[in-house]
Amino acid sequence: MKYTSQMVAKPYFIAAIGLFIGQILFGVIMGMQYVVGDFLFPEIPFNVARMVHTNLLIVWLLFGFMGAAYYMVPDEAETELHSPFLAKLMFWIFLVAGALTILGYLLVPYATLAEITMNDLLPTMGREFLEQPTITKIGIVIVALAFLYNIGMTILKGRKTVINLVLLIGLVGLAVFFLFSFYNPDNIVLDKMFWWFVVHLWVEGVWELILGSLLAYVLIKTTGVDREVIEKWLYVIIAMALITGLIGTGHHFFWIGTPGYWQWWGSIFSALEPIPFFMMTIFAFNMVNKRRRQHPNKPAVLWALGTAVMAFLGAGVWGFLHTLSFVNYYTHGTQITAAHGHMAFYGAYVMIVLAIISYAMPMLNGRKAANSQLSQIVEMWSFWLMTISMVFITLFLTGAGIVQVYLQRMSDAPLPFMVVQDKIELFYWLREGAGIIFLIGLIVYVASFFVGRDQPEVELPK
Amino acid sequence: MSQAFTKSMARNIFYGGSMFFFLLLLVLTFDTVKSLPQTDNRENLTEQVAKGKHVWENNNCIGCHTLMGEGAYFAPELGNAYKRMGSKEAIIAFIKFRPKNGIPGRRSMPQFNLTDDELDAVAEFLKYVSEINNQDWPPNIQG
Amino acid sequence: MLYATGFFFNIGNEKLTKVMKYPPGDLAIWIFIMAELLVFGLFFASYAVTRIDNIELFEFYQQSLDRRAALWNTLALISSSYFVVQAVLAINRARQQQAFIFMLLALLMGLVFMAIKTQEFAHHIDQGITLSTNTFYMFYLSMAFFHYLHVALGLIVLAVLANNIRKGCYSQHDYNGLESGASYWHMVDLVWIILFPLVYVM
Repeated sequence: MKYTSQMVAKPYFIAAIGLFIGQILFGVIMGMQYVVGDFLFPEIPFNVARMVHTNLLIVWLLFGFMGAAYYMVPDEAETELHSPFLAKLMFWIFLVAGALTILGYLLVPYATLAEITMNDLLPTMGREFLEQPTITKIGIVIVALAFLYNIGMTILKGRKTVINLVLLIGLVGLAVFFLFSFYNPDNIVLDKMFWWFVVHLWVEGVWELILGSLLAYVLIKTTGVDREVIEKWLYVIIAMALITGLIGTGHHFFWIGTPGYWQWWGSIFSALEPIPFFMMTIFAFNMVNKRRRQHPNKPAVLWALGTAVMAFLGAGVWGFLHTLSFVNYYTHGTQITAAHGHMAFYGAYVMIVLAIISYAMPMLNGRKAANSQLSQIVEMWSFWLMTISMVFITLFLTGAGIVQVYLQRMSDAPLPFMVVQDKIELFYWLREGAGIIFLIGLIVYVASFFVGRDQPEVELPK
Repeated sequence: MSQAFTKSMARNIFYGGSMFFFLLLLVLTFDTVKSLPQTDNRENLTEQVAKGKHVWENNNCIGCHTLMGEGAYFAPELGNAYKRMGSKEAIIAFIKFRPKNGIPGRRSMPQFNLTDDELDAVAEFLKYVSEINNQDWPPNIQG
Repeated sequence: MLYATGFFFNIGNEKLTKVMKYPPGDLAIWIFIMAELLVFGLFFASYAVTRIDNIELFEFYQQSLDRRAALWNTLALISSSYFVVQAVLAINRARQQQAFIFMLLALLMGLVFMAIKTQEFAHHIDQGITLSTNTFYMFYLSMAFFHYLHVALGLIVLAVLANNIRKGCYSQHDYNGLESGASYWHMVDLVWIILFPLVYVM
């Protein structure tokens, strides 16, 4: 680790993992509620567990992105971070604000939370993923601006590498598009349309730039492949991401009251959205195959390759399966959606954050480049446990979705929603089983940070 | 030449392509917003409906239900609930008489303790949503 | 097919004697070209398939399109492409001044296309026709406007190429950037050559 200010990444990464654990605990609760309908009712109704699960996901990924930036940017820019103090301050503000928000969800009825946070002054609550009180959202904007300022100033005074610039564009885009969360018109169609300017343009837009730059960074560090090669491929990948993803937003405008032409524009462009993910997979495997050296940090390479594959499968393939409007007509808002959502988020964003943590944490803990043999083995076990169980979660939900679509949407005598949910119960039990294994995988992952700490790190002969 | 493509060409395509498609997105968004009055049922967007949207949001209905297919998948689609349940009264009664401690063993909906005015508003909101022209979705009455 | 066309126009080019591993110009532009052709291809296919179920509607509203203007547009784009090819050949023969003139002519013919097309669109807008008017107009306006934007971008590219020629950026032995831009323009031309008969005539 060349610059001492990179150390500010450590609390961010630790918070990220802590919140990840919280996310999965509530995920397991929700999975239970799917099959034992009144589990923890009325103390924790399903919608509360859900908003805790999804909000924790988003916040821990943001902690991960910020930690990644604080680690990567000084290294790439070849200069110390502009203000480590500001980074530490923002860490605590974000963490406390986040914790208070989650406690708010859990401790009081949502309508009460809206009242005590004065939501009526500027109502932004009550939309999916944007359940945060308006004051929390304002806090997020402040934290984001401070973060962008810190990172921006660092890049300005140092080397402006392609990786840094792409990361910065992605992060600026993240902040700018989040502003749409403040737009909440009375017109539900307008509300829904611009809600997607946050969600789609995040996860199928600027977040892909963040993903690409983090992946490129880990690949440069672990393979030793020439920076020029990696950076030019990064440009091509993110170009394809925006060229397909911007108009691809239209695949969310099929059934919400917007004009019918989106069925064509949205289907055609979003059908091509797998292309950048396909390229990322080829890119990652190619770079590793062409590597000039063996890096002692095996898990980091494993996470990097894994993220490309799982992102392609979850976001690319599963996304494609239900993106064409004549398919989506039947699958919209079903377990097919949930299946795609889980694998896509895990593959594209969870795994890349875990990859960067895997790469950086040993050095943040004082190692030269990697952890001990034991720690690496445990970490790689956690990779397989989490990844394989996620595949099964997705498969079970896909099965549930296919039966649901047939019985509720396609059959000659369509059955009511609750009746269908009863009939697909077996899939939900299986999903919960896979979810428990995922949780075990996560526990193993956390364990990997604690085992083998006194053992020497893996060093490969020159 | 020693390489098939250059970093500067890739960079130019990224910046040029992104700006091109961002502009196109703006153009299509502008056209969409202009065309919305034809489909969004705004002539029935009364104050009561707007109030109903607030009730919907403040109680996080989207946390269990879908509305026009978007939301959570724990409970039924409500975009066509007005058509499925037949009347505002049916909707109001359903919400009003949810048992506080749920129904043993079944997925349970909280008792939100809404006032009569809030109940009327959210029912009005759901009626309004059911009349939006959203390209004939969902495929049938079950949502 | 495009590669073959480019290859054909390379007659007299020394490269004819070498085995070409990559198409002319930067490979990155070809990835972009392929993606664009994919999008247009999907639009064309969607149009063709939709037409089958809506023959009367499509044939009726097709009559409202200005076929004569489209014909002039076709001639404008084809001659523009011809001038671009001549510009590339000129650079290959180290005739910088000639290349510059040809590129300006290409630009001019492109502007002719834009002028005619703009007039067509203005006419439709005057009549209150939008993307939501009916399925035929949705396809026609989508494809024509999407192509129109590509012509606009292409004109910017041609202008940059012309300026680069004037600055002496390309030599007889290195004109990769020129061929990249030229390839993009040829794609724009190719798309129109399919669009015109498909939507205006058939």
